[in-house]
Amino acid sequence: MNRRRWLGWGCAHCACALAGAAWAEVGADWAPPPRFTRPDVGSDEGGLWAMMDREETRLRRSPFRMRDAGLEGYLQRIVCKLGGEHCPDMRVYAVRTPHFNASMAPNGMMQVWSGLLLRVENEAQLAAVLGHEIGHFMQRHTLARLRDIRSRTAFGTFISMFGLVGAVGQLATIAGAFGFSRDQEREADQIGLVLLERAGYDPREAARVWDNLIAELAANPGNDPARNSPMFATHPPSAERAQALAERAAGRSGALGEADYAARLAPLRFELLADELKRGRFDETLVLLDRMLQHQPGQAELLYYRGETRRQRNQVGDLGLALDDLQAAVHEGGEPPATHRAIGYLCRDLRQPEASRQAFERYLELAPQAPDAALIRHALDEGKPSS
Amino acid sequence: MMLRRCALAAAVLLLAACAQVSKVADGDVVVRERLVVTVDTPWNQFERTMADKVPTWTNEGLTIDALQFFVAIKDGELISPTPSEPKGQRPLVFRAGMQAAEVVDLFQTLWTRDGSSLTIDKVAPEAFMGGNGFRIDYSRVRKVDEVRLQGVAWGVVHNGELYVIHYSAPRLAFFGRYLPRVEALAKTARARG
Repeated sequence: MNRRRWLGWGCAHCACALAGAAWAEVGADWAPPPRFTRPDVGSDEGGLWAMMDREETRLRRSPFRMRDAGLEGYLQRIVCKLGGEHCPDMRVYAVRTPHFNASMAPNGMMQVWSGLLLRVENEAQLAAVLGHEIGHFMQRHTLARLRDIRSRTAFGTFISMFGLVGAVGQLATIAGAFGFSRDQEREADQIGLVLLERAGYDPREAARVWDNLIAELAANPGNDPARNSPMFATHPPSAERAQALAERAAGRSGALGEADYAARLAPLRFELLADELKRGRFDETLVLLDRMLQHQPGQAELLYYRGETRRQRNQVGDLGLALDDLQAAVHEGGEPPATHRAIGYLCRDLRQPEASRQAFERYLELAPQAPDAALIRHALDEGKPSS
Repeated sequence: MMLRRCALAAAVLLLAACAQVSKVADGDVVVRERLVVTVDTPWNQFERTMADKVPTWTNEGLTIDALQFFVAIKDGELISPTPSEPKGQRPLVFRAGMQAAEVVDLFQTLWTRDGSSLTIDKVAPEAFMGGNGFRIDYSRVRKVDEVRLQGVAWGVVHNGELYVIHYSAPRLAFFGRYLPRVEALAKTARARG
């Protein structure tokens, strides 16, 4: 069995239920298991941990790890509030990747991707996702999945003795291995809610995370979420799950941690939005930005990105709306210098050469060392009337 | 994520293993019938690459350094066709009216759509193929293996068609070693026909 396959199993966190296994409903009196001890290295679980330890060594040195001051410490504190006595066994790494994802390996290595940090609206929503992952960790779902895959692989090998039918059987086996166990997901959801409420957060926020994601995905009807997001490949978003979470949390309340979260995200947000724009999934990005602007109307940074997203998408009607947003960003003040560059390009496309020139000049004034300064200067020179 | 990474790496290795490699002869070389470059140092050419329409040369092997030729891309064509374009993702389509900045945006999306991190170090006007072209210098951390790369590309819109020569290699050792050779080659580029 090769290492990469083990790693895939270990990190994916979705699980196929052990055949015939029945999962108990998690109630408010649910008690977490005692802290785990390191399994024997000769066991399947010990092997899985060893693989994850090596992956963690790689992750510590990864250039994608976000080393911004205090970020991982902040995430670790949330995980500790949720995980209680398991806190010393869980280590959080923030990873710069513009997709919604968090995962937790059985050895306690948790990854939180920047696309998730950008999308949650407050600390309670972030805690809801982390609590869900901790639920998988506490119930050792990955190990159950590994054992399930192993038994399926043995079955697949057996049926492969029968030629084509066997090959089809193997494919089905593999496909099944990457599907989701609704029971395990439900259990992790329920544990996540319990942990969220015990830590003092508003449990109603858990459903909102999924509602927001479903709204983003709806921007592209027929889109295959599993193909485009690692999180969705292992945690299919469904209205049914969001509804179940909302029903369980109905009538309860707790802290949102909105201000704390906004303060923590603020110094990172510009770069995270730049990464989001580079994904080239403009329809989804616009849903995200509309939502962010509903919460923080008039934010120049958000107005710039919504305008720039529309400018780059350039569908019918986009350019006018883009110009409105960009000019609103300037009006609000504190706009990123790139706002003026975007206005310059837009006005050029809209055949407003004087407005374009003024905007480019303002951009160069604010960002004289910008990587594209020479290109803009060249464009300005070309636009000058010949003497 | 791991499995996708693994699958991509396996696909690259498989293609690299299956692809026919030939030595690029010295002298004038015609690329996709529309571009001519003069070669005075050895290169290896892959007859088939991930994208058939983008001829790719290398010194050290496809996964280490790659010199790519985007030749005579017409209005409405994808800059780098893939077997299946992801739904909902911006199609990387060239438009004849595009300015340099828009072409740079296209390539930036191409180089980051796999989750890689990219920083544009400089974009500047530069003569290319006898026209008013541009040069992009960038740094990239490739997602699949977290290797730090440097890249350079020259582009121009010539008679409404896009021509780009792009080279990337690991920042340490390889990029600096081959950059003068690539710059010399780019200077010889001219349209054919």
